[in-house]
Amino acid sequence: MSMKVNIVGAGVAGLSLAWQLAQQGIEVEMFERGSKVGEKACSWFAGGMLAPWCEAENAEPVVLEYGKASLVWWQNALGEDFVDAKGTLVFAQQRDKKELKRFARRTHGYEVVGHDVIASLEPDLASQYQEALFFKNEAHLDPRKALIRLSEVVQKLGVKIHFEQEIEPEDLLPEKVVDCRGFNGAKALEGLRPVKGEMLLVKTNEISLSRPVRLLHPRIPLYVVPRDNQNFMIGATMIENGHGNQFSVRSMLELLGSAYALHPSFAEAEIIEMGVDLRPAFIDNLPRVERKNQIWRINGLYRHGYLLAPYMAKLAADSIINDKDEIEKLADFKLKEDRA
Amino acid sequence: MKIFLNGMQTQVDHTELEAVLVQLGYQDVTIATAINGDFVPLSQRKHTQINEGDKLEVLAPMQGG
Amino acid sequence: MLDVYGEKFSNRLLLGSAQYPSPAILSESIKQSQSQIVTVSLRRESGGDLAGQAFWQIIQDLKLKVLPNTAGCYTVKEAVTTAHMAREVFNTDWVKLEVIGEEDTLQPNVFELVEAARILVEDGFKVFPYTTDDLIVAEKLLQAGCEVLMPWGAPIGSGRGLNNPYALKTMRSHFPDTPLIVDAGIGVPSHASQAMEMGFDAVLLNTAVAGAGDPVAMAKAFNLAIEAGLLAFEADPIDARDMAEPSTPMMGKAFLS
Ligand SMILES: Cc1cc2nc3c(=O)[nH]c(=O)nc-3n(C[C@H](O)[C@H](O)[C@H](O)COP(=O)(O)OP(=O)(O)OC[C@H]3O[C@@H](n4cnc5c(N)ncnc54)[C@H](O)[C@@H]3O)c2cc1C
Repeated sequence: MSMKVNIVGAGVAGLSLAWQLAQQGIEVEMFERGSKVGEKACSWFAGGMLAPWCEAENAEPVVLEYGKASLVWWQNALGEDFVDAKGTLVFAQQRDKKELKRFARRTHGYEVVGHDVIASLEPDLASQYQEALFFKNEAHLDPRKALIRLSEVVQKLGVKIHFEQEIEPEDLLPEKVVDCRGFNGAKALEGLRPVKGEMLLVKTNEISLSRPVRLLHPRIPLYVVPRDNQNFMIGATMIENGHGNQFSVRSMLELLGSAYALHPSFAEAEIIEMGVDLRPAFIDNLPRVERKNQIWRINGLYRHGYLLAPYMAKLAADSIINDKDEIEKLADFKLKEDRA
Repeated sequence: MKIFLNGMQTQVDHTELEAVLVQLGYQDVTIATAINGDFVPLSQRKHTQINEGDKLEVLAPMQGG
Repeated sequence: MLDVYGEKFSNRLLLGSAQYPSPAILSESIKQSQSQIVTVSLRRESGGDLAGQAFWQIIQDLKLKVLPNTAGCYTVKEAVTTAHMAREVFNTDWVKLEVIGEEDTLQPNVFELVEAARILVEDGFKVFPYTTDDLIVAEKLLQAGCEVLMPWGAPIGSGRGLNNPYALKTMRSHFPDTPLIVDAGIGVPSHASQAMEMGFDAVLLNTAVAGAGDPVAMAKAFNLAIEAGLLAFEADPIDARDMAEPSTPMMGKAFLS
């Protein structure tokens, strides 16, 4: 097929779309303001959890419905061993037992597991916890490795990526353009708001984990995701109207306090990196693909970049290739249910 | 000159509050301002001087209970 | 009708706007609650992302009365400055005055509260003070010029309901003509009903709706509960008794044994 598509922004949205299009033999050119993949992308700071069942606790049901398929999408794009399909464990401190009950009421797809299962899954946490929820169908990937790998894969498929090119999508008209600029593209999209997130990378040999764990708390829920070389990603704050790009003392106290509560061995960990970025979100916290003539925009991935970018890429690719004006709008079922 | 904008050290090129706000990206938006803990009404922004080291707070609507 | 500072409202639920799963759910919850007064706040805004503006648009679209709070203020000075900033931003002289005394319970610091209320009333504000159920503090707030009082049900966000119904009842009978709004600590709709049955004029809550599994449905439930409680109060409930009393009339009953 002879068609050419330009993509502005090589974050998870842009790269997912590039893969989706290049797979189908379409010529793709990408423009990225950073000097390398991830350098200026919100996607760099993500936890990389593919955890749609857990997210269903307060996300719209579509997040679960479409998020489920992302695991296979990432395996197809990056190779099967790239995705760790080991599930998620959810804990609460003894005094927050109610939180675990509430989480269990509001989600499904888990088993309640006791000490023995915890000991076999995460031996280092066995002494601390007698009970957990095990979401065994969930998975995770290292978002940084995934972005880099995806950029390599698409380049092999013939996609050109131009770095250090900060441009306005309009400048590429009349060719087809897809705006994947993340929050930096907010001016073009009404109602896109930033939800600030802060994360930490720490390193310690005192503890090993094989899968993401979540620690519930009435105010400060936390997750810890294991990475290579005994690194752990600790995340993440969710600050509505979060301003600026500084990491606040309060957030640092809360994240580290919770990590220490999850397991005291984090007290000795070395802090390797502090990351801050703004998640782009629409009013219903669901992503959208929009089209105006020859400009498409994928945005609003909120805290579901890796989970939902594959589905959004499919929607956008379908609209671009088949010249469709009508693009599925992810529905906020929670609101649409008949409440008469 | 350096001031503290919402607690962060920030470089500004003007001394009149209104010009400082424009420089910092607050144009035509719903905000309220205070300098060193004292409210500065909209009508006074033109006539209010900001000095080196001043603490400028810029607030906007947000969720509350 | 709820009558506060000369304005009348047919609905008696004041709803907070924080902590909803998404702004869309916030907006739908407020609609379903039928609330006519919604509380809002002020936070630092960065010139880069101007995050507060989107939220403000959502609230403006609802076309309701906004009640800005001074949440997070610990001193008279902070609360007074925040109130002035809120008056300009929200274009209203209403203010929900919170002066917090202590972080774990978020108890009001009633000493600073009374002083802040006095200053703000002088500056032309219509003050809604978040206070305890202490009668003397309440007297001082009225002397300071407040025309409405907002005693707590329980600590903010605790969902415990009316911790001290006795004190709240006493307050109600002590101030029969002052609009009294139970603010904070409500967990479930029956708590709100209970306050209304006791003769309170309205209920202010946030977490109980925003933190529910289905906030939109819970908002609706609270609206119904508050209406039920009000109707019950106006219908003059019976008094509790120690002994049973048959509800079916005995007169004319057949004699069959
Ligand atoms: C702390 C934190 C934790 C998170 N955890 C998770 C998680 O566990 N799972 C998950 O799925 N999501 C998570 N997210 C959310 C996820 O990171 C975002 O949803 C996602 O990264 C958004 O992707 P994007 O491609 O739209 O934007 P971005 O990743 O920001 O990509 C946009 C790209 O466009 C480029 N660009 C911008 N403007 C221009 C221009 N004018 N010209 C050229 N290039 C431009 C940028 O440099 C950037 O590379 C997290 C976010 C944060 C902050």
